[in-house]
Amino acid sequence: MRRAIPFAVAIFTALLLQTAVFPKVTLAGAKPELMYMVVIIIAMLDGPSVGAVIGFSGGMAQDFLQNAPKGVTALTLTLLGYTVGLARTYIVTPSPLLPMMLVGLGTFAGLLFYGVVSALIGQLSTGWLYLFRVAFFSGIYNGLLTPVFYPLLKRISEGDRSRSLFGR
Amino acid sequence: MPSRQRARSTRLLVATLVSISLVVITVDYRSGPTGPLEAFGRLSLAVMSPFQKGVSKITNPVGDFFSGLAHLPTVEADNARLSSELDATQSQIIKATTDQGRLATLEELLGIKAALAPDTVGAVVIGSSVSNFEWTVTIDKGSSAGVAVGAPVVASPGTEAPPGFTGGLVGHVVRTTPYASDVQLIIDPDSLVAGRLFTSGETGLIQGQGDKDMQMKLVAASAPVRLDDLVSTVAFQAGDLQSRYPPGIVIGKVSHILQDAGSPDKYVQVRPTVDFSSLEFVLVVVHQAVTP
Repeated sequence: MRRAIPFAVAIFTALLLQTAVFPKVTLAGAKPELMYMVVIIIAMLDGPSVGAVIGFSGGMAQDFLQNAPKGVTALTLTLLGYTVGLARTYIVTPSPLLPMMLVGLGTFAGLLFYGVVSALIGQLSTGWLYLFRVAFFSGIYNGLLTPVFYPLLKRISEGDRSRSLFGR
Repeated sequence: MPSRQRARSTRLLVATLVSISLVVITVDYRSGPTGPLEAFGRLSLAVMSPFQKGVSKITNPVGDFFSGLAHLPTVEADNARLSSELDATQSQIIKATTDQGRLATLEELLGIKAALAPDTVGAVVIGSSVSNFEWTVTIDKGSSAGVAVGAPVVASPGTEAPPGFTGGLVGHVVRTTPYASDVQLIIDPDSLVAGRLFTSGETGLIQGQGDKDMQMKLVAASAPVRLDDLVSTVAFQAGDLQSRYPPGIVIGKVSHILQDAGSPDKYVQVRPTVDFSSLEFVLVVVHQAVTP
């Protein structure tokens, strides 16, 4: 897979911004979830299988930077990437708001799923109210950030395809 | 049917990835914080931290600008208060330097070595937790500077500490690499700290509540608790269990007291003295090796 390096750079950059920049700029106490946004956008552009692979890799990378419980983010983002990739084939609206809506809703649903899985293994120590609040505001925050990151990820996703078309 | 074939191979791929995730969750859950997967955790921290250091060097002023906007009304009052405090501090420093000189001479005379006194290492906060469900920070000092897992971390408190007490408690180190460490903050829901109320001497267990005030548990209903009462760390030993933090570090102030009629415990909320949203510099307590 020739695009492995650009995708790895995107995952790494998301983690770096998530840990070093956005903790200081929160929305109603919630940080954005950049890895969720990256996975959703790539899944939208490249379909379910690439979405699942990027979701798994990005989720694992994020999991290992946390204390516990490892693997839950990977599970969440694999399924999220796959689902968004599938959903894309059924949505035909050319609205420019579509990426923002999908990222917002996908982040909201993904975080709830993450919370439920954590709770099932007894690791959700923050409480349900907090989970809903964070899922809601992170979803909105991610949606608002989408216009900034979407064009960059689109270039990664399409740059290589156009190059291979022209045989370079 | 190539498209159906592709759909099937995609499903197989997703099933494989989900299975791997489930295996990782199980292995990590069963092995706990000392498991083989923790090595990968340290590795990813070691890879990320140099970049975090670089980025935070650039973005700290930007972040300060934003948090400054939020705190703007208080900034001017702070300025006036700080300049008057600065004058007072400067005269104190002059006195302290003289005292320090005398103390050093006296200590030398008595042959006291400060070998047993806890030593501290200053560190800069270069990053925060990657998720919304953990309250940790990454600092730029690691095992090469003597930082070990479990080491207490403190900051200078925002409020005045009474004599005999030191800066605000930040948390403890949970993961180290040679040049960076992760610190679990006391506001993390997984953090438990033994605390003592300053005026009554009552003790309790303080648990983090995320972005809300911490909760002090196991305080007897009959115990006298006052609002704004200072809470500090307390040393204890119960069997093999020993307190992680040295005694006398300020944790916070009592912000809320609820008395439930039927409950044997008081519901006490504690607001940390450290402002965790703008934490930049911390001190890690490094226990010096005891020299015989």
